[in-house]
Amino acid sequence: MLFQVIVSGFVIGCVYGLIALGYSLIYKASGLMNFAQGDVLTLGCFLGYTFYTLLGLPYWLSLIITAAIAFFFGMGEERFIIRKLQNKNVLTVYVVLATISIQYILQNSIQAIWGPNMLSYPRVFPWNNVTIFGVNIQTESVFCIIMSFILMMLLQVFMNHTKFGTAMRASALDAKAAKACGINPSFATGVTWGIAAALAATAGILLGPIYGVFIMLGQTIGRKGFAAAIMGGYGNVIGAIVGGVLLGLIETMSAAYWSSTYKDMIAYGLLLIFLYVKPTGIFNEKALNR
Amino acid sequence: MKRLLELKGFCYSYGNIQVVKGIDLYVDEGEIVTLIGSNGAGKTTTMQSISGLNPVSGVKGEIWFDGERIDHLKGNLIAAKGLCQVLEGRHIFSQLTVEENLMIGAYTRKDKKEIQKDIDGMYKLFPRLEERKKQDGGTLSGGEQQMLAIARALVAKPKLLLLDEPSLGLAPIIVEEIFRAIVKIREQGTTILFVEQNSNIALATAERGYVMQTGEIIMADSCENLRNNDEVKKAYLGE
Repeated sequence: MLFQVIVSGFVIGCVYGLIALGYSLIYKASGLMNFAQGDVLTLGCFLGYTFYTLLGLPYWLSLIITAAIAFFFGMGEERFIIRKLQNKNVLTVYVVLATISIQYILQNSIQAIWGPNMLSYPRVFPWNNVTIFGVNIQTESVFCIIMSFILMMLLQVFMNHTKFGTAMRASALDAKAAKACGINPSFATGVTWGIAAALAATAGILLGPIYGVFIMLGQTIGRKGFAAAIMGGYGNVIGAIVGGVLLGLIETMSAAYWSSTYKDMIAYGLLLIFLYVKPTGIFNEKALNR
Repeated sequence: MKRLLELKGFCYSYGNIQVVKGIDLYVDEGEIVTLIGSNGAGKTTTMQSISGLNPVSGVKGEIWFDGERIDHLKGNLIAAKGLCQVLEGRHIFSQLTVEENLMIGAYTRKDKKEIQKDIDGMYKLFPRLEERKKQDGGTLSGGEQQMLAIARALVAKPKLLLLDEPSLGLAPIIVEEIFRAIVKIREQGTTILFVEQNSNIALATAERGYVMQTGEIIMADSCENLRNNDEVKKAYLGE
């Protein structure tokens, strides 16, 4: 029982982590919170469903196409909405409001295209369960956890050990200096938004076979991913992953051993206490205005 | 001698306020030229406009670099043409290591294999940077940050190096060290245009100088003549 609880905690925790990574990347690059992040997960889930279930493409191919579409969606969002507003020098809250608008437009569009009913993926793997330590675990769950960790590691390597990843970090730190070094900071920021969206959409296609496909899937997860990002230290990439997994575990544990009705109350009560005790997050990001 | 940089009737306005009012300035290949003047004269605006870092909507007049008009190009494209600037206030990437800062400096270069050699050359010029190459840029002292900012611009192998206030906020002994490095860089063949509030050291280092006042160039001459000019002596050299 405990092991299964831990596994499902890890599944949702990894998804929170992927979403939180997106929040952190966007925060570092644009100094914003993007409300639409969770709904890109929903979009990914539906796109994956379309390619995999409706069009019968292989799962891995559906995953790649979905991530690619989401990447361009994120880039477009930044290029045509966010940057246009930022260039007008409006207050940050206006830009954040724009992301809320994008969120609802996205939700409604998804409903308009795919309808309001809950859908489900057929099995992805030919075998239902894998046995780990004598416990049966749903194969898709194991795949979700493994894929999440692979993605997180790839992102780490890309950001820290490639020329363009380093340039993206440089642009996020100091756009003017980056430009003086020959980097196009607008392009770097756009790619950052693209990666954030691709991560969210991939989380969606990983989660679809486990949770089902429905319109509100991403909204709740999006908020929780935001919570995870802050727990880890807002803007901190490693912190986002740790915060996500931790939140997933706390939530699932509370549901299993305490009360599934009040699991959110418990998890977010803890979050409030955490915010009070350690406002800089686990990894000490600069959260205090001093 | 080849004309590397030329400003013709260059003006810059922020909204309705004109801060640079039609200046002419040039730098030939191999020269070291300074632009001096008091606070608010428009020096930094001029420098950042040359590098394409100010909104181009404020530019009037022409800026030519290496035979090409650049006044409406984006800053990253200008940097890629070999016109690199050490910004006022240094602007190093605080959460990137010294080494990463230098790698970013070489961002526009295509000759990958040569880059590491040039970074090692920077460590020779500024040995203190080598000791700290794994440290985050933000942990360096002001003088070391200035050295890093200069080295970062140099690894791009610029045809023209612009330096904006390299002495700003630094202790006199560090200022001397920085200017010794600037002289060395110039001897190695890099053309330099620099802005400096410390007119004494500026006129001692450069060959030619421009004096800027409230958006206009009021004097242009060899540094020797400027040093002996009574007006310059009184207003800028504190004599």
